[in-house]
Amino acid sequence: MRLDYKKHLPLTESTAYILLALSEPLHGYGVMQKVETMSKETVKIGPGTLYGAFSNLEKEGLIAKVGEEKRRKSYLLTEKGRGLLKEHIRRIEILLENGLPTKDW
Amino acid sequence: MKTMKKFHWFWAWDDEKEEAWLRQMAQEGWHFKSVSLPGNYIFEKGESVDYVYRLDYFVDHKDMPAYLQIFEDTGWDYLGEMGGWQYFRIKSRDGNAPEIYSDKASKAKKYERLILYLVIFLPIFLSMMNITSRSDAGYLRFFSFLAEALMLLYIYAMVRLIIRVTKLKKGV
Repeated sequence: MRLDYKKHLPLTESTAYILLALSEPLHGYGVMQKVETMSKETVKIGPGTLYGAFSNLEKEGLIAKVGEEKRRKSYLLTEKGRGLLKEHIRRIEILLENGLPTKDW
Repeated sequence: MKTMKKFHWFWAWDDEKEEAWLRQMAQEGWHFKSVSLPGNYIFEKGESVDYVYRLDYFVDHKDMPAYLQIFEDTGWDYLGEMGGWQYFRIKSRDGNAPEIYSDKASKAKKYERLILYLVIFLPIFLSMMNITSRSDAGYLRFFSFLAEALMLLYIYAMVRLIIRVTKLKKGV
């Protein structure tokens, strides 16, 4: 199963955050706000980037549209998206373990 | 209110220069009112405002409402379209210039969409060249010349856009 994720990895920081934010159904603006808060304002996503991310991630089956209110579409992480995110975090944990000594530099 | 017509052409790979020019116009008190092909702007005179302009390339008209909604929700004013170029504006805060693309990978996709769109015209160009080059009629010689000039421009535009995408992807 892990091999299946290879073509998506590594995720960019913004993609990882968008996927994380979509563990609950959210529309575009909601995602942007949540990512900004979660990342302590280290990651800000522009509207062009977000729109593109939504359509790409949906095409790849990592997120799915779960609602449409007026002109705002909301999305939610799919099973495949969850798996990918898990694998991405696992890899980051390994990086973090290796990187811990840098705190004493 | 005082308005001004101005013709200003820009090349697709230089769209950032156009954004900078529009910002400068706004600082001088000339505010974007409308644009139509091939670069006919109408500006309205007002007070100097530091507006930041951004151009996106987007032609999926079916999904336009959802696309525009995301921009609107984040404080961007939608100004209009010219041949697939979508014009947006936001007021600068403390002189900084917000981006609509927050990373290079997604910005590269904007130019990739444009390249893809240009590829559609390739068969038209080729058939045009084929028709015009087969005849010796005087008036067709002119069209043949025109077709060749357009073809050269087309190739040049493609190369410039591909360079732009490559640079963005390499993170230069």
